Amino acid sequence: MYYLIILLVYLAVDAIACLGLSQQFGVAGVTNFGFIIFQAAGAYVAAVLALPPDTADGGFQTYLGGYHLPFPVPWLGAALAGGVLALPFTFLVGRRLRGDFAAVGLLVTAVLLNLLVMNYRPLFNGDAGVSLVPAPLQSGMFVGTSNGYQIGFGIAGLVAVAAVYWFLRRITESPYGRTLRAMRDNDKVADSLGKNLLVLRTGALVTGGAIAGLSGALLVSFIGVWSPAAWSYAETIVLFTAVIIGGAGNHLGAVLGAVLVPVGFEEITRFISNNNPSLPPNLLPSLQWVAIGLLIAIFLWLRPQGVLPERKRVIRPRAAAGQPGPAAGPDRRRPVAGSAVMLAADGVRKDFGGVHAVAGVSLSVARGTMTGLIGPNGAGKSTLLSLLAGTEKVSAGRISYAGQDITTLPAYRRARLGLVRTFQLASEFKRLTVTENLLSAVPGHRGDSFTGALLGRRYWRGDETAAIDRAYALIEKFGLTAQANDYAGELSGGQRRLVEIMRALMVEPDLLLLDEPMAGVHPELARRIGRTLAELCQQGLTILMVEHELAIMDEFCEPVIVMADGQVLAQGTMAQLRDRSEVVEAYLVG
Amino acid sequence: MSVLVAAVGFGLITSAVLAISAVGFTLQFAVTDVLNLAFAAVMTAGAFFAYLVNQSGVPIWGAVVAAMAAGAVLSAALNYLVYSPFQRRGSAPITLVIVSLGMALIVEFGTAAIVGGVNVSYTMSQGRTIHLGGLILTTVQLAIIAISLAVMAGVYGLLRYTKLGKAMRATAANRMLARNCGIKATQVIAITWALTGALCGLAGAVFAIDVGSFNPSSTDIFLILILAAVFLGGPGNAYGAMLGALVIGLVTEVSAAYISPDYKYVAAFVVLLAMLAIRPAGLLGART
Repeated sequence: MYYLIILLVYLAVDAIACLGLSQQFGVAGVTNFGFIIFQAAGAYVAAVLALPPDTADGGFQTYLGGYHLPFPVPWLGAALAGGVLALPFTFLVGRRLRGDFAAVGLLVTAVLLNLLVMNYRPLFNGDAGVSLVPAPLQSGMFVGTSNGYQIGFGIAGLVAVAAVYWFLRRITESPYGRTLRAMRDNDKVADSLGKNLLVLRTGALVTGGAIAGLSGALLVSFIGVWSPAAWSYAETIVLFTAVIIGGAGNHLGAVLGAVLVPVGFEEITRFISNNNPSLPPNLLPSLQWVAIGLLIAIFLWLRPQGVLPERKRVIRPRAAAGQPGPAAGPDRRRPVAGSAVMLAADGVRKDFGGVHAVAGVSLSVARGTMTGLIGPNGAGKSTLLSLLAGTEKVSAGRISYAGQDITTLPAYRRARLGLVRTFQLASEFKRLTVTENLLSAVPGHRGDSFTGALLGRRYWRGDETAAIDRAYALIEKFGLTAQANDYAGELSGGQRRLVEIMRALMVEPDLLLLDEPMAGVHPELARRIGRTLAELCQQGLTILMVEHELAIMDEFCEPVIVMADGQVLAQGTMAQLRDRSEVVEAYLVG
Repeated sequence: MSVLVAAVGFGLITSAVLAISAVGFTLQFAVTDVLNLAFAAVMTAGAFFAYLVNQSGVPIWGAVVAAMAAGAVLSAALNYLVYSPFQRRGSAPITLVIVSLGMALIVEFGTAAIVGGVNVSYTMSQGRTIHLGGLILTTVQLAIIAISLAVMAGVYGLLRYTKLGKAMRATAANRMLARNCGIKATQVIAITWALTGALCGLAGAVFAIDVGSFNPSSTDIFLILILAAVFLGGPGNAYGAMLGALVIGLVTEVSAAYISPDYKYVAAFVVLLAMLAIRPAGLLGART
């Protein structure tokens, strides 16, 4: 019986930790190889909040604090500590650093913090760790061992799992969760749609850190001891294995993973070794780690989505279909200063090492035009678009938008001003449906923030309904109704281009930068897209479009800018350009 | 003063071992695009293979060559059986990092399961001690430094003058483009795994010689130093890794002498995090 209770508590601890990790890794795409340090921090803080001052037990152990505070203060303090500890790491997972480099940084941090705590005794009693941590709601030393208390503790653990599960679902099933998943699938694109990656990732780190801290508190309250040996970096790998096997991004999967890996696995090996005392003492633990390694590789190969894959979120249009046209709600178009020039570049340069991809470009795009940008491969068109949208920083020069200098603004800020781009390469959010891709781009959604998500569906339902109406109007217009609830990653190349254009339009841009929007699209459909865009331009949208298909340029774009070798070669209508020999030459030579 | 000199001496040896590993790691990453966290585990596997060879009566330097062979075979096998299938499927870089962690567990604890978790030492003599203006080094330590310098010169010659080295650099810069230029990228990558694997095995054996007594988990922390050296110089940049190894080796040993040996890795850790935060491209810029 006692054994079962222990199992139950361990299960609760591991399930909570796996839920936190699944939220970071599976939902937000933040690979936190240092996850265990947040659990450790929670355990230590819970311990020193509950323990009396370190002089109390004859001073056999030393630690900071020792406040002897009653339950539930230590648990709350632990969650808080886990969350706060996450803050200094945000610089690692912020906007600039590659995900795998950040993961390495976190792994290294985990290893070294463990070494530090182990060697520095005044902090948490070093290598030996803290012990005799009082059990919650008990006084004296052995009171916490009664059967009833143990069962109560087990139940409390399960309640904590349920609470964490409920909390995470509320976040994940909200528009905010959708944004997190969009960032996971493609962070650069999320940035270009106005999502602040730094804030989003900080949110994921802090949420997961607090949950990990809570799991640590639960554990230390039960076992009463906590030392560096309990939180080696390898424990993180066990939790990762559990989440990968259970199903990253599916919270039930995380709980299942906790049952299978940390709990099931260790108990099986304990069972085997208890029954075979003749085995070398080191063999089974070693083989256990080998098996963990094999499980990681085999699952990532055979079933990367895990036993319980992420659920597909099917979103249907309102029953009151047949509502006329784009039921767009209030017009969110931002007030724009009177000038006719929407976007201006002045001497913009971009150097990659010795290559001058963009070598001093000055151009302006007039409001309400559909301006074309053509040029041979390698002319610097896509790089220029990246500079204008803020995906990349200029080496020199200035960019202004609607009269405002935006040279140093990051991409997401430019998107919020209404300057939105699409990408040359496929950039749909693969594991979001077509509808979700569109919804993820809606600006100013009440549910698209941590607090908004917590306030619940009732708080953001109105915005969501309006957004769904707009999304379906667009989907219908672009002829993708049949695919509306398919994963975007499963569409054909041409359909993905459509998703991308629609998604950009959902931001309600004032200026749209399109990078080869018609590539791979059926010519008939390309014309239809062109007409739709032209219509939008008449309503006030401005477009700057890179496209190789000159027929499209002929029909829709005026003026057209020609680039070659990183510079603007000419500008005019297509008819004018055809008469200029250097333009024709650049194309032939390029 | 003599403390400093002694610390610098230790630092140079650590740097020498570290340079071999860091150059191997960074070339591996540059050409194959795998941030191979199993590198340190393969080092130990090589060191243990050398131990078995050494125990069977082969002199230590012969055993070191055996470690190189073991490292090359094991690394090539990891690529052929694991990393390259994942890459062909188009897995994300982060997936490969997680897989490489799994491989690290398999190699490290596979070694432990075979040899047991005990500490072992090579059968060898440390040779005469030599005094070099205040520095006191053994012949073996000097040999380690000489091997390291030879490896650095060899890597420089390889990258600068040989067809293979140029093909490696081209593959590192742009695999697709290299392929289109007629470079057999798959082959270059396979050879790179074997070559860097040999460096890895060599590093493992030299590491084991340097520390004297080792077990299957001895290189766990050393991986951190490798990563620090690699990121300091710029991930994927071979010369950066050499510079990084020199700096990290000296910083750890000198800080060990003046602060406390318990905290000698903290300096490496701070360097690594600072580089990641401020200049992820490293001192010499990313990639060769």
